[in-house]
Amino acid sequence: MIHDFITIIQDYWLLLLIGQYPNGPLGGLANTLILSALAIAFAFPVSILMALARLSKWWFLRWPMTALVYVTRGVPLLMLILWCYFVIPLWTGADVPSFLIMLVTLVIYQGAFLSEVVRAGIVSLGQGQMDAARALGHGYMGAMRFVILPQALYNMIPSMISTFVSTIKDTTLGYVINVPDLTFAASQVNNQLLTQPFQVFLILAVVYYILCWSLTFVANSVERRIARRRAGPRNVRLPAEAAPLKTITEQL
Amino acid sequence: MSTSVSEPQATQAIRIADVCKSYGDYPVLKNINAEVARGEVVVICGPSGSGKSTLIRTVNRLEEINSGGISFEGQDIHAPMRGSELNKLRSSIGFVFQSFNLFPHLSVVENVSMSPIRVKGIAANVAHDKALKLLDRVGLADKANSYPGQLSGGQQQRVAIARALAMEPPVMLFDEPTSALDPEMVGEVLSVMKSLAADGMTMLCVTHEMGFARDVADRIWFIDAGEILETAPPEDFFKNPRHPRAQRFLADLRH
Repeated sequence: MIHDFITIIQDYWLLLLIGQYPNGPLGGLANTLILSALAIAFAFPVSILMALARLSKWWFLRWPMTALVYVTRGVPLLMLILWCYFVIPLWTGADVPSFLIMLVTLVIYQGAFLSEVVRAGIVSLGQGQMDAARALGHGYMGAMRFVILPQALYNMIPSMISTFVSTIKDTTLGYVINVPDLTFAASQVNNQLLTQPFQVFLILAVVYYILCWSLTFVANSVERRIARRRAGPRNVRLPAEAAPLKTITEQL
Repeated sequence: MSTSVSEPQATQAIRIADVCKSYGDYPVLKNINAEVARGEVVVICGPSGSGKSTLIRTVNRLEEINSGGISFEGQDIHAPMRGSELNKLRSSIGFVFQSFNLFPHLSVVENVSMSPIRVKGIAANVAHDKALKLLDRVGLADKANSYPGQLSGGQQQRVAIARALAMEPPVMLFDEPTSALDPEMVGEVLSVMKSLAADGMTMLCVTHEMGFARDVADRIWFIDAGEILETAPPEDFFKNPRHPRAQRFLADLRH
């Protein structure tokens, strides 16, 4: 059994790592990482804009964004992927690479989920912080930037991490539109071996687990560092403060 | 808005003219007319739910009004204006909240220096030095690098006063600044307010601290059910309240 794993990894590690590259498109784990990183990097600012639009006093921002968030959250991701896959080339008339389609879909989908997290973070601060900022002469955007968002985003780190982790997991669905990612590479390996699906997909699972777990780990330590800075040198209440995040994120 | 609240008046810091406000059908402020002269300390008192806090929050337009006008240094705060103008007006009206509303993600000195830097564009080191001076003034120089969560309520409220003062406002509004405090911390906040009054700051305070009102106020506004029923110097108000509702209010306080 162990021998099977070692053989598979020895024979196919390069395929699993970078796909067909340089003879074909970049794939494998490298592509999964790039796709995840880009999706998170774009979904994060997009989600803040979506949350601000949903909280806007202007109906022409609030209504369409609310509709978009509701529809996106109420539709399976796989459906959204297929929809983008067939519709975007129709609209643009261009041959859009499946990687790009997957990226756009993930940004919209995770942006919608994340925007609800951000919105909850803003709303849960209450009116007092905004009042205080406005009373000091800050404009709405200034108050958001210097007072509301730093607190809201910090408070929401645990929920944001779960969304980031599910973004990584959701990149696997790119398989259905032939995005050459790690899952795609693993299934290529499986198609060549034919007899060892359990071993191949267990390797896949372990890699994804390590990926998601390390993101959670990094986030935990970042949060602890901020908490330590805020608590100051005299107040050492850290373990208790850091605990809730851990319990939440480890249930993913 | 036919009222001429925008006329510049030499001695008035705040002029409230015919202000009405209601939440739906429920009137909270009924035709309020009042003035605060420069350098004057006015205490607004009255029973709970009488509209005191709503009134003071309309003065820097944290609450909108339905009709009437409020002028601050000759400018109508509730006139239609651009956001940037309103922000500028607000930045020259200090406001202290019942629940402190310090920014918990910033250290004490950052709380005090942030708005001068971000709103007024003052250089960071200048704002920082000024913040330290203000913290010294409210007796908290040693807490400059603490975070609000590490301070007691009284200390937090003193930081909040320093934060408001950092914008160098000619007028300070206090919305029940001691109501959220433990009794033993009320004194430290009131003494900061007293020293401000002694320095000639124009102050409008909603408070239940009748001792403060008696010692420091130049005038008392007694408000009930959205109406100012009596305005009088404190010695008159406490000895000979004219309005029956004010008499009842003071009698209830003595029990």
